[in-house]
Amino acid sequence: MELLSVRITISYKDKPPVLDDLRVDLQPGEILGLVGHSGCGKSSLALAILGLLNLKGGKALGSIRWNERELLTLKEKEWRKLRGKEIAFVPQSPMSSLNPALRLGTQLEEAWKLHGQGGRDQMEETVFRSLLDVSLPAKEEFLRRYPAEISVGQAQRVLIAMAILHRPALLIADEPTSALDAVTQSEILALFGELNRRLGMSLLFISHDLVSAYTLCHRIALIHSGKIVECNTPQAIFFSPQHPFTRKLIAAIPTVPSASEVEESLRFNLFNS
Amino acid sequence: MKTMRIVAITVLCLTALTILGASYLAPAGYEQQFRETPQAGPSAHHPLGTDDLGRDRWARLLYGMRVSLTLAPLAALFTTVLAGLVGGIAGYYGGWTERCCKLLIDLFLSVPWLFLLITVRAVLPLNVSPEASVTVTFALLGLLGWAASARVICTGAKDLMKSEFVWQARAQGFSGFKLVRLHLLPNLRGALLAQFWISIPVFIIAEANLGALGLGVAEPLPSLGSLLRELQDVVTLRPEPWRLLPLAVLIVVISSFQALLNKQEVRA
Repeated sequence: MELLSVRITISYKDKPPVLDDLRVDLQPGEILGLVGHSGCGKSSLALAILGLLNLKGGKALGSIRWNERELLTLKEKEWRKLRGKEIAFVPQSPMSSLNPALRLGTQLEEAWKLHGQGGRDQMEETVFRSLLDVSLPAKEEFLRRYPAEISVGQAQRVLIAMAILHRPALLIADEPTSALDAVTQSEILALFGELNRRLGMSLLFISHDLVSAYTLCHRIALIHSGKIVECNTPQAIFFSPQHPFTRKLIAAIPTVPSASEVEESLRFNLFNS
Repeated sequence: MKTMRIVAITVLCLTALTILGASYLAPAGYEQQFRETPQAGPSAHHPLGTDDLGRDRWARLLYGMRVSLTLAPLAALFTTVLAGLVGGIAGYYGGWTERCCKLLIDLFLSVPWLFLLITVRAVLPLNVSPEASVTVTFALLGLLGWAASARVICTGAKDLMKSEFVWQARAQGFSGFKLVRLHLLPNLRGALLAQFWISIPVFIIAEANLGALGLGVAEPLPSLGSLLRELQDVVTLRPEPWRLLPLAVLIVVISSFQALLNKQEVRA
């Protein structure tokens, strides 16, 4: 039984559709990677699943089925109950996605108050539990800080903590690691994997980076010119790519140069100079 | 920077005490005329001398501060809230709401407010008490002053609506009033506070100008504005520098407020 099942055409104004009858399904507990060029409509899909596409002037046709419910015909009031509670979102640039004027504690608390039930104790417990989930210090001192006073990696962890506050069934991560350095990037990827295993949370991992999708995902779908051209396990994608676009992406992955290659290029440079 | 803060707090506390204790510090009252000694210099009886009607300048300064420094901030607060409300709503909803709000703003910006004030004052009966007239004057200033800053707030709010943390907040389920209160207003705080502090001296001076037309605070009630008006008489000012005190008070009080404000603004 699918958790999420999308058949969708997305267009902006009168332009040709960015996503043209795109079909994708997600099983409970699965990590699905959506990989494609920048600007191929990956983020539009995320916005459509969150019901925010119309605010960007986009139009979605087709169907998004979520737990036996049709989302595209949902009223705004019902959307609001869903967003952040059942479907949560982790953004691309952590630093600008936290409200600069509010303390981290306030932001987490207010996010809890939106869907949480119970008193102050309940709230503090949930906030601290979430912080521990993402390996952040669950201390009052940390919660009193402003976003400008933490690192980018910590900011992304805070945003993930905020997203898993209500234990959503699906986490949509839109290029969550592209603003991070390589080390932080691999830490965050590991964190996603761990949250998926421990909490059984499904993850829609949107990225332009095939390698990080390979390390994290159970299945990878490649988007090219508005359609999914290939969808398979990471191993199959990497070792027997079917579509030319996939082959192109794999060929473009930078590799660590071997010793003989380094020697070769050195000799070449010497010879030329 | 810390000394500045301490000085500013001391000045403001002193001002508050002076305003509250006006009747003890200046028992003469602001309307009593000492007819034997008009236009007198400073003396033990009259620390700042007397004006041309023989009234104690010190008493008039204290009561004037009481009137202006209570009512001008109130009017400024009113303007700021109104600007935040209209500008915030316009920026949040956009589209038709924004157009309607902008229309209202333009309307208020183009109202010949001087004539409106004259009309309103003309409608008030002549024997209205000075207290009522001063309240009406500042209320009108507050009611008319919001439009320009509402525009600034509207633009600011519109920019914020496009910012990533507002999208993130929406994805968390924030919307409507909660979104405005938590994500727009705290980030517009700087602009709103600036509006507030700018309005106070502007209103004090606007009241003085209205007074020159006989529309401000009615005699005998003093206000900082009506005391500033006495400075128009430049020729006699040089031998009597103590008459500059109302101006000095205004500058010192406003700068103290701003010194405190700047400290709090460092974060944003």
